[in-house]
Amino acid sequence: MGRIIVANRRGHQVVEWDTVDTEEARRQVIEAERILREARESGCLVSRKVGDQHVIDHQPFDPAAEEYQIVAPIAGG
Amino acid sequence: MIRRPKSIRSSRRSPEVEIASWWRRLLGFLFELEEPGDDTVERPWRRNWDYLPKRSAGPGFSSADYAEARRRARDVARLTLGEDQWSALQRQGYLDHPSRLFPGLTYRLRIGRRIEVLAPPGTPMPWEHRFLCINPTYPLPEEEFLAHLFLYVRDREDIIVRVAAPQPWDQTLGRTF
Repeated sequence: MGRIIVANRRGHQVVEWDTVDTEEARRQVIEAERILREARESGCLVSRKVGDQHVIDHQPFDPAAEEYQIVAPIAGG
Repeated sequence: MIRRPKSIRSSRRSPEVEIASWWRRLLGFLFELEEPGDDTVERPWRRNWDYLPKRSAGPGFSSADYAEARRRARDVARLTLGEDQWSALQRQGYLDHPSRLFPGLTYRLRIGRRIEVLAPPGTPMPWEHRFLCINPTYPLPEEEFLAHLFLYVRDREDIIVRVAAPQPWDQTLGRTF
């Protein structure tokens, strides 16, 4: 099971996908990939869990990833 | 839908307060309209949050919602930073990270406040002032945003340098709560 942590004003919400080979799992993967792409196109960064912490990740969505997080865009002032 | 009985107090408010209240209700209504009905995950990058007052999560957010958001944010901040950094943050109340682009400089990250740039005597500062005002473009709990800032400082310092607004004084951030 993989997941995307969507950091938002709720603290966070989670989008999950299963790694088994079923139609439902494939739909979940497509949705997760879409959310990540949409966030990046909107200026967000994406981090990926590596070991016990997150690092900024610029690679395409990997269904084998354990955990991603959407990192808020920043602005001065 | 549960409707509350009309408050007697509300009919005695000043015209200014009434107008402000009307605008908040309108904005809140529009705010809700933007949410797709079947979409359970809020995607804040889809909205413009500029209309929000400082330190606000938006219309309709109760004190219980703020408390729950902060609790959930704390969990994610810990997960994002990893145990070493999280422990350091709890122990010190801040996180220091050395600059890769400006040797000798250290960024000090504090919850809900501007980044403080520390420079030993004689080290040139790239900014005129030592407090960098950087906010998320949408409202986030303070601890969660500190974890995000840590990722920027460590992995994408170039973005920090590009967007930072240097200020001569310290202050709480406006887009976090």
